[in-house]
Amino acid sequence: MRIRLDNLNKRFGSTPVLRDFSLETAAGEFLVLLGPSGCGKTTCLRTVAGLERPDSGRVFLDDTDVTHAEPRDRDMAMVFQSYALYPHLNVYENIAFPLLVRKLAAGYVEKRVRQAAERLGLAGLLQRRPRELSGGQRQRVALARAIVRQPNAFLFDEPLSNLDAKLRLEMRGELKRLQHELGVTSLYVTHDQAEAMTLGRRLAVMKDGELEQLGSPEEVYSRPASLFVAGFLGSPAMNLLPGRVDAAARCFVSGEIVVPLDADPLGRLGAAASITLGIRPENIELARTPGEGWLPGRVYVCESMGNENLIVIAAGGAHLSCRAAPEMRFDFESSVWFRFRPGCLHFFDTSTTRALWP
Amino acid sequence: MKTLQRILGPLLLALATLLTLFPVYWLVTLSLKREVDQFAVPPIWLRFTPTLAHYYDIFFVRSFGAYLAHSVVVAGVSTLLALAIGSLAAYSLARFPRPGLAFWILSNRMFPPIVSVIPLLLMLRWAKLLNSLAALIVVYTAFNLPFVVWMMRSFFEEIPVDLEEAAMMDGQTRLGALWRVVLPLVRPGLAATAAFCLVIGWNEFLFAFLVAQTDAAMTLPVGIAGRVTQYEIKWGAMSAAGVVAMLPVFAFAAAMQKHLVRGLSLGAVKG
Repeated sequence: MRIRLDNLNKRFGSTPVLRDFSLETAAGEFLVLLGPSGCGKTTCLRTVAGLERPDSGRVFLDDTDVTHAEPRDRDMAMVFQSYALYPHLNVYENIAFPLLVRKLAAGYVEKRVRQAAERLGLAGLLQRRPRELSGGQRQRVALARAIVRQPNAFLFDEPLSNLDAKLRLEMRGELKRLQHELGVTSLYVTHDQAEAMTLGRRLAVMKDGELEQLGSPEEVYSRPASLFVAGFLGSPAMNLLPGRVDAAARCFVSGEIVVPLDADPLGRLGAAASITLGIRPENIELARTPGEGWLPGRVYVCESMGNENLIVIAAGGAHLSCRAAPEMRFDFESSVWFRFRPGCLHFFDTSTTRALWP
Repeated sequence: MKTLQRILGPLLLALATLLTLFPVYWLVTLSLKREVDQFAVPPIWLRFTPTLAHYYDIFFVRSFGAYLAHSVVVAGVSTLLALAIGSLAAYSLARFPRPGLAFWILSNRMFPPIVSVIPLLLMLRWAKLLNSLAALIVVYTAFNLPFVVWMMRSFFEEIPVDLEEAAMMDGQTRLGALWRVVLPLVRPGLAATAAFCLVIGWNEFLFAFLVAQTDAAMTLPVGIAGRVTQYEIKWGAMSAAGVVAMLPVFAFAAAMQKHLVRGLSLGAVKG
């Protein structure tokens, strides 16, 4: 089933939460809504679920308008951040709940519940109450309750955020596999960029109730559409240097940092008065000795991660985060030379925040 | 300090138990004593000749059996009604709050009940309900409602909204979610609230005295007080009736004890 959101608007009191928000999923797609807390992503999901009514705008399932349909008439399965397991029912009854509501034959219910429990490794826990389960097991019960029927869509509201780091990684892979096997359209809300990058076939990055960018994880990472997306994705985040273009000298100037420009970006940057240059930490090259076109800096801090080093250098009044090979180790305040890898530069209009290049 | 506590604690407990149980003891023995033994000086604590004459009197000479039945019906039905109506109102208030409304409902319990006696009597006369069980049921339900709403609201507020939303996503209507998911979870609260309503309905005297003066609707408290006559006070009969009136409440409290303790402390945290 395709889910289509058409110009959704929603206010809580005087605060706008969704502003002219439109989005369309493909059938069977795994689409992730990503954004900081308060950006409206959960409200968006709840509107799709039918738990919130939009002030204006419409929700479509395939070509059916379900804007005013009750949640039960939309036939979607939702996994809540709190898991929302029924505390007075045991695991079997929790998983069977959506089927029993539909008054399906007992034999069929039993078969489906056993299959779902089997699939998620809960077969031995069917008689337990939710309070006797660990966090990871509760999470699995919530998933089993979702997959026990064939819903029109799966809705996930930060389902992994209450798990510890190791379990979260494990369940992330499990979720991806599950969605692949079932092929059911999924909307997944998270503020965790690793979850977004790994799970989503497409990402919708949200900010202040608006869609900032929609695209595949690779697109959003390599061609961020705005300063916000550029700063939100990536760890450490993209370095952003506000400055201006000197067209005569064919270069970008930010304080003491001067970056020569090719003809291609130059043509597109001409119009904007103030420009921000973006460069990802992995696209800054470091050297111990000076070279043609390299800029000088000082090491502010060097953190070893084992497989790579994260180095922050101070240059021309700015701090730049860099990733370097593990053997590139520096002391505090040692001199270092750097340059921006050509072809890896991003340019944004500082006043509109939109991307100009690439 | 430790030893002092070890001695003083049980001592205080024993004292409290004694104070609580002494009237019960006095009532029970009085109901079993012949009239000559009732006020003997010094009191005959245990070695009196027991008699069931007073019990015979209240059940077979007077119609206390009927009064007992009336009390059971009035307290029971008014409790069920107040719970059914009040829980729905409380749920709505918990999920769709309107500032001040809950307090306004509670404030209906704050005026002295006697203030409403005359208007109530007039209304009941108009409705031709005087001297009927229905009159008492209506009045008790009305007086218990604010209390039910106030108490149940705080129980409902403690149930996470996620659970209802999950039930609705799983295919329930809102009422279905309330019935299948929320109500089972507030059972301790329902039990505690029911206990309060039952006790209030069971012991109520003022309205029962004014609204139901004939045998058609007389309840136990009024019936017992009726043993104080112009010429004599029937202590034995009153005590026997008192014992009979006490037993159902004891039985109910014992059966509900587990729920009551949980329910009362749950409600106390918030509200």
